[in-house]
Amino acid sequence: MTRQGLGEFEQMVLLAIVHLQGEAYGIPIVEEIERRTGRSVARAAVYITLRRLEEKGFVSSWMSDPTPERGGKGCRYVKLEAEGARALREARQVAERMWRGLDPGSLRTR
Amino acid sequence: MSAAPAPPRFPRALLRRAVPDEARDAIDGDLHELYVARRVRSGAAAAVTWYWLETFSFVMRFTIDRLTRAIRSLFGGDATPSTLDLRLGARMLAKSPGLTLVGGFGMAIGVALAAGAYAFFNSYFYPELPLHEGDRIVALAKFDRQRQREDERLLHDYQVWRRELRQVVDLGAFRTIKRNLVSETGQGEPITIAEMTASGFRVPRIPPLLGRTLVDSDEQPGAPPVVVIGYDVWQSHFAGDQTIVGREIRIGRDAHTIVGVMPDGFAFPINHQYWTPLRFDPRVPAAPGTGPDLDVFGRLARGATKESAQAELTAIGRTLAAEGPKELAHLEPRIVPYVDIFVNAEAESEAGVYAVMRFLIAFLLVVVAMNVAVLVYARTVTRTGEIAVRTALGATRGRIVAQLFAEAFVLSGLSALVGLGIVGVGLRMFDDWIANSGGAPFWIDSGISLGTVLYTLSLAVLGAVIVGVFPALRATGAQLREAIGSLGSGTKARLGPTWTALIVAQVAIAVAVLPPAMLKGTQTIQLALAQPGFASGEYLSTRFWVERDVEASTDSIAARAASDSARAIVTELLARVVAEPGVVGVTVTGGEPWSGGHDRVEVSGSDGSSQRVRVMGVDTSYFGLFGVRMLGGRRFAAADAALSELERPVIVNRSFATELIGAGDPVGRRVRFRNYDEAAAPWHTIVGVIEDFPAGVKSPDEESTRTMYRLVAPGEWGSALLTVRLRGQTPEAFAPSLRRIATSVDPMLQLSGTNALDAMYREDTLAAARLALVIALITGSVLLLSAAGIHALMSFTVNQRRREIGIRSALGASARRILASVLARAMWQLAVGVGVGLTMAIGLDVVAGGALMEGTGLLLVPGTAAFMLIVGLLAAAGPARRGLRVQPTEALRAD
Repeated sequence: MTRQGLGEFEQMVLLAIVHLQGEAYGIPIVEEIERRTGRSVARAAVYITLRRLEEKGFVSSWMSDPTPERGGKGCRYVKLEAEGARALREARQVAERMWRGLDPGSLRTR
Repeated sequence: MSAAPAPPRFPRALLRRAVPDEARDAIDGDLHELYVARRVRSGAAAAVTWYWLETFSFVMRFTIDRLTRAIRSLFGGDATPSTLDLRLGARMLAKSPGLTLVGGFGMAIGVALAAGAYAFFNSYFYPELPLHEGDRIVALAKFDRQRQREDERLLHDYQVWRRELRQVVDLGAFRTIKRNLVSETGQGEPITIAEMTASGFRVPRIPPLLGRTLVDSDEQPGAPPVVVIGYDVWQSHFAGDQTIVGREIRIGRDAHTIVGVMPDGFAFPINHQYWTPLRFDPRVPAAPGTGPDLDVFGRLARGATKESAQAELTAIGRTLAAEGPKELAHLEPRIVPYVDIFVNAEAESEAGVYAVMRFLIAFLLVVVAMNVAVLVYARTVTRTGEIAVRTALGATRGRIVAQLFAEAFVLSGLSALVGLGIVGVGLRMFDDWIANSGGAPFWIDSGISLGTVLYTLSLAVLGAVIVGVFPALRATGAQLREAIGSLGSGTKARLGPTWTALIVAQVAIAVAVLPPAMLKGTQTIQLALAQPGFASGEYLSTRFWVERDVEASTDSIAARAASDSARAIVTELLARVVAEPGVVGVTVTGGEPWSGGHDRVEVSGSDGSSQRVRVMGVDTSYFGLFGVRMLGGRRFAAADAALSELERPVIVNRSFATELIGAGDPVGRRVRFRNYDEAAAPWHTIVGVIEDFPAGVKSPDEESTRTMYRLVAPGEWGSALLTVRLRGQTPEAFAPSLRRIATSVDPMLQLSGTNALDAMYREDTLAAARLALVIALITGSVLLLSAAGIHALMSFTVNQRRREIGIRSALGASARRILASVLARAMWQLAVGVGVGLTMAIGLDVVAGGALMEGTGLLLVPGTAAFMLIVGLLAAAGPARRGLRVQPTEALRAD
């Protein structure tokens, strides 16, 4: 498999999963991203991203037992896999290398 | 079971279809959880709105995701039109809003019709059984090849099959009966019951929610009467009572013990909510070809296939045929998919018919798309210069075609979305209508399925190919090389016979097809707006039906006794109702005053030809009860009813008298039915003429309101309409009393559709109004597209002659002469179109036997022709005048 990069949104979803520490499924992931970024997120986009991340092997998931308050359906919990952790670290390193020597406060547009 | 709030069903079903299998339950559960929380926080309305919006977002995003994946797997990424192309397409649409609106509207209607037909046919004729291993559930039928239909008298075969078949297990049978559910206050409500063998509960493999299902011992003669009820009636009639099991309810004449409640959604075998055991005495074997009509079903045994089961069934059938009576020997036992015995097994060719219909409806979209393509082509040709520049800069033909495809796809995609919306609304309306008229079978889910979405998408692609790719291929073909050669000197495209042919065809089709469509539309609107013409608020109507006992349908002596007793029951009912306070009178008729069947009749002394008239069966009190004015002769009298049916007189209305008899007194003339054997039909004397009633109501398929009334005595009806005229109380208030009286006369006497007569009238006309809306929408879109097409073609062809106009003007021709020559040419093209159209219109009308135009419709033909002429001439005049303003030097400079 070729080395795959991470999009910005994918990074956000992965980081939210890490923050949630084993309690990550659709609803809390959306809430976590919205809380930390202050932006509203399209719920469907999160599920599509989760599906893609799972196909890439960055996360794995399992279904919990069904509960009546969820209309007899379970939750799909997700957890970060080694490949995902490596991709996150790499994305961070790339960003840091690009920032090296720059002062975020002194960015000029012209 | 708690009544916890659940998300709305329709969007939820849509959502579940749109998302992939592995994410379905998780997303469904998450949205359920959020929906419940939001409902508590913000109320039901806000939660439902939120759920709909979320569903929409999920459907859109997952559909796009699915498509992107599909395209990637096909092309690998780069060869597909880019988002830039799509953005460019959107900008082009915004730049020509007229084209966008007209083309988009036309395509949306086309897509809606095609996708609607697809959704409808698929859910009704090619359904999947939503049960565990539903494809292994089969029906066993006997096919009568001579009469091309099923023979349902299967009791004898069922008994044999049940004993001998090994390839089909859990063999069961059912039949549908109607009985009154009698309330504690003595009111009867007709319910539909499946009389089913206990094995009918094993086949679907769905356990009961409460209590038990039917078991084999319930089928024993003499076993206590029991009933299993469905979830919906448990909720609606018994308030979801948890302790319902063991309670007694009265169905027809007997008390039944409720032994179980089935879960939500269970409606096997068709759309049932009550199940009672099907009982036959096993000690008395049924004779072949006797007994009630039954449907037999079962599950293929483990390891069995449809073919192996069919082989076994055929072998058993052969033995049975050898032993049984000769006249039944030709019946072929068959194993068919379960659903087939209810939908399309009767004629083998029907599946083919549906396929053809589906193709024809999809073809309609192609016609619409071609029209839009003409519009787009006229614009694409004006862009030849731009295309030439791109080609010169190195763009391949494929790249340019892809770009134009993407532009067209933006239009067709948006149209498809709108079309899909229309389909959604249409299917909802259809579902409501079905639910009101008895409910659809449990396997039918006429919502927008993923299949429908994909089909619509393919229609959008097809539309984009026609609208974008064809004009693009033409524009990038031979003309392009020419255009590259003359880059900078403006664009030109060749005028040709093609354009003339297109204009002629466009005008001809509009002139020939639109008038009849408009006529039908206006007639339907008139019907929808018509008033019934009597004080309908005073009348309460109900259909009634005396249900026979099981034995009466199998035994001829019992049948005769039952029909005698039915007569007595109806007579007593009428007597009891008339005796009620506030009741002015009652009448029994075949149907509502505005309904009735059609027959062909011949009037004595005429040339022997027969005419189609509306025929309605009424009793002696009908005309009096509705206060219908007599124009001559007399009403029906009690003595008329005493005559045999063949000797009874008839009454006709004013339209009948003027149209079929003309001058002279109709009273005393004779009429006979001419439907079948002409000589054998007896003559009936006309004894009276009435004013047309109800005044002015005429449905669109009727040529005339001419009506003949024949006398039927109340006891002679099987099922009929009872109408009560009331004074001092409303029909709604009297309805419960009527039900109580009926049930006390006999619990087997069923009333259905009890309603105020004016409410029935409004329901009927509302249905007509909806139909009118659909017709108006289609006609409007065709008219709009035709006008736009003619306008585009005209202005385009004249535009091509601008240089010629400039040159002629430079050479000293007068403006008036130039304009006259341009318009003369346009006029000529349009006139040929109108001529062809008129010929087609008259031809079609002759073929349809005059039913298309009905005389008045012909007036619309010149109107449509004039409209198309004006549109065409206006379209030609604009570019011609602009051509005249071109400076001669500018016109000449090009060469």
